[in-house]
Amino acid sequence: MDLPRGTRLLAEGRWALVLALLGDRGDEELTWWAEALRGVDGAPRLLAVVDRPSMALVLRAEKLGVLDLLPQPLRREDFLRALLRLRSAAGEIPIPLPDVTPHGAGPYALVGQSPAMVDVYKLIARVAGSTATVLIQGESGTGKEVVARAIHLNGSVASGPFVAVNCAAIPENLLESELFGHEKGSFTGAIARRVGRFEQASGGTLFLDEIADMGMALQAKILRAVQEREIERVGGTDPIPVHVRLIAATNRDLREAITQGRMREDLYYRLAVVIVQLPRLTERGDDLLLLTAYFARQFAERSGKRIDAISDRAFEALRNRPWVGNVRELRNVIERAVIVATDATLRLEHLPEELRTDEAGLPGRSPSGLATLADAEARHIARVLAHVGGQIGAAAEILGIHRNTLTRKIREYGL
Amino acid sequence: MNAGAKRSLPPLRVEQALGLLPDIEVLAPLRALLLAASRPDERDQWSSLGPYLTVGKREVQPAELRNRMSQALGQVQTHVGALYAACIEALECQERADGVGAVAALGRAARLEEEVGRLAQAKAWYEVALVLAERLPDRRPEVELLRALGGVCHTLSRYAEGARYCQRGLALAEAEFDQVGAIAACEGLGLLALAQGEWAGAQAWYQRGLRLAESGGDAGRVGQLNYRLGELLRSRNDLTAAAEYLGRARERFEAADDAAGVARTLDVQGQVDARLGRRAAALGAFREALAWRRRAPPREAPLEVAIRLHLATLAVDSERYLEAEEELRRAEQVAIARNLGLQLIEIYTLMGALRGRQGEDTGFVFFEQAIELCRLYAVSPSTEAHVYHEYGVFRGRLGSREEARAYLEKAGGIFESLGQVAELEQVQAELQRMSA
Repeated sequence: MDLPRGTRLLAEGRWALVLALLGDRGDEELTWWAEALRGVDGAPRLLAVVDRPSMALVLRAEKLGVLDLLPQPLRREDFLRALLRLRSAAGEIPIPLPDVTPHGAGPYALVGQSPAMVDVYKLIARVAGSTATVLIQGESGTGKEVVARAIHLNGSVASGPFVAVNCAAIPENLLESELFGHEKGSFTGAIARRVGRFEQASGGTLFLDEIADMGMALQAKILRAVQEREIERVGGTDPIPVHVRLIAATNRDLREAITQGRMREDLYYRLAVVIVQLPRLTERGDDLLLLTAYFARQFAERSGKRIDAISDRAFEALRNRPWVGNVRELRNVIERAVIVATDATLRLEHLPEELRTDEAGLPGRSPSGLATLADAEARHIARVLAHVGGQIGAAAEILGIHRNTLTRKIREYGL
Repeated sequence: MNAGAKRSLPPLRVEQALGLLPDIEVLAPLRALLLAASRPDERDQWSSLGPYLTVGKREVQPAELRNRMSQALGQVQTHVGALYAACIEALECQERADGVGAVAALGRAARLEEEVGRLAQAKAWYEVALVLAERLPDRRPEVELLRALGGVCHTLSRYAEGARYCQRGLALAEAEFDQVGAIAACEGLGLLALAQGEWAGAQAWYQRGLRLAESGGDAGRVGQLNYRLGELLRSRNDLTAAAEYLGRARERFEAADDAAGVARTLDVQGQVDARLGRRAAALGAFREALAWRRRAPPREAPLEVAIRLHLATLAVDSERYLEAEEELRRAEQVAIARNLGLQLIEIYTLMGALRGRQGEDTGFVFFEQAIELCRLYAVSPSTEAHVYHEYGVFRGRLGSREEARAYLEKAGGIFESLGQVAELEQVQAELQRMSA
């Protein structure tokens, strides 16, 4: 059966396994299949068969979460072993997800009990009651907007609006009109009069996210608005009074930006009356399980599923992740996992490929947290050996190296 | 400035880089290179900017542009060289009274311009070639040029002018018993009628072309006209009839080993299934279309983007927003790498609509980016009007009625001036809904 017909059949039924015979461009075809199977009903696993499985191809298959990559001619016992592996995925040990009581509700809830987060809660409680301007600092995805909303909801202007502006997302030439509004026809594209975010936030809180991405000229206007409590629309002539609580956030070092001449010092001091520093996810210890539970339940409910556990291997993979994108990245990973999960447990196979290759059990990681080439080689050799039932000759053939070299590597890696 | 300080500086973004380039034609290849060489800043991926990343917010590295400049200049030189060579060849042909050769050389130059998306320039070349072709005893080159001019006018939204060219081409082809030319003219007239909302006219033209193709036993053209009819009937919501035509188109394309044709047909079939609420079947058709697209030549990259856009639309309609976004981001990668400006505009328009469905008003940045790209790529007014239409719907959905109305009225005005009746009716219905 050819590729197009194969994909057609995929849509017509519910499959547990897809057996793909790869051609000359094995790497490309593997990627294509991995993509084609994403989101398909029943979440079928891919078993690929290729003439000569190179080491690079086996590694690629592993990275893509392929169940197995078998050499041609396909032997019955290899096929049966692969099927057993398919069943053994269910053998991962489920860890029950704890009940979580978030502070707040919906997408802006604060979840966590780690000491670092408890300090943040205390600071929120202290500043919320005042009208002081707050600067929230933290890496991407640590929850700066969530904290800003918590300050707003627990403060004196809670009944007013909370208006968030993502300064980095908005094109530079439109940011001023987005913040201050514009009169119709004041510039090309000013198709109608627009009320700016400062006005929209009057009587409430204006949250300026990624404030460091703002140009100096606009910074001066922000400073004026904060000090004089009035703004002017672009193309307008009359000052408009505004009463807003300002909360700003950044993932950059604003002090460094001041020394580089990209941030006004007077605006910095105006914004940084109180500084809330948010911890990285990796600094939040057991919050990882709480957050996983919270997101898993949230997304399960949204997609009409029930998720009440995560497998030990999947959680280990989460624990080993450096989480560059912090909570936002975790949320994303769990959302995807819930979508592809077929029962009440999130398993390793439900996680994205980059997490599966980061899985626990690798010998000695580099300081960066990434696996070294030797780690990958050791793991791959172990896999091939397991695949051929420990036969060194057969393993050497698949790996494309001499059996003496293989024997030496087995000794070297203690396999 | 030391290296450490440079590393900590914010990235230079495409929107800033484009702001430095004056809007002059000679810089068009550099603008295209700038977009193709840009990449998302890794730091942005997980920041709050991540969900709103557009090509304008991607990072530009001047050093990389410098490295790739010679490659871009090489392409420009090759293109201009080919145009000059075609021109000189036409002159040489004229010198030895070889009119056919001169027309062929000028036509080749026109096609080269068309291939790189310089449609106004292509039209100018075709028109010069046509003047020469009118003097030839063999009228087939003239028929071919009239068809090509009809096609270029269609893409430029100059529908009435395009129809005139195709009409002339058809009359000439019939007089000369040029069946291939007549079929192509019928297809062109159908497309132009469709663009102006003349459904019955379009269907009649396609059917006439189909009859001619069937009588000539040309499997490829029979497939193509069945496909056109299927596409037309899908847009008219006559889904059963559309599926029948599409089935026949697929058979013919497969017989002619036309992978791109099969992919296009399956893409429309997927849209038919989606309209019928058969999500799994639609998903299957789109995925199979992508599989066929892999067999088609690389120039069919826009087809891949189109299929992915339909996959994303399917996901949006079934409220699978994450899948929709992933598909759109994949399409975006292809469109940026291949400099597919028109498709990039469609991608951002749908991305904006997706954010609107999610109630995220910052989604307006996608529409603004799409409008900016309309200007950058000098696309047809029809494309721009579609962006304004969706922008209006977005603003309306998020409660900005005054702006919504302004954008819808702007879209309606453009559609009206182009004679795009169906689109105009949709805009008017939207405006009425807002007033109710």
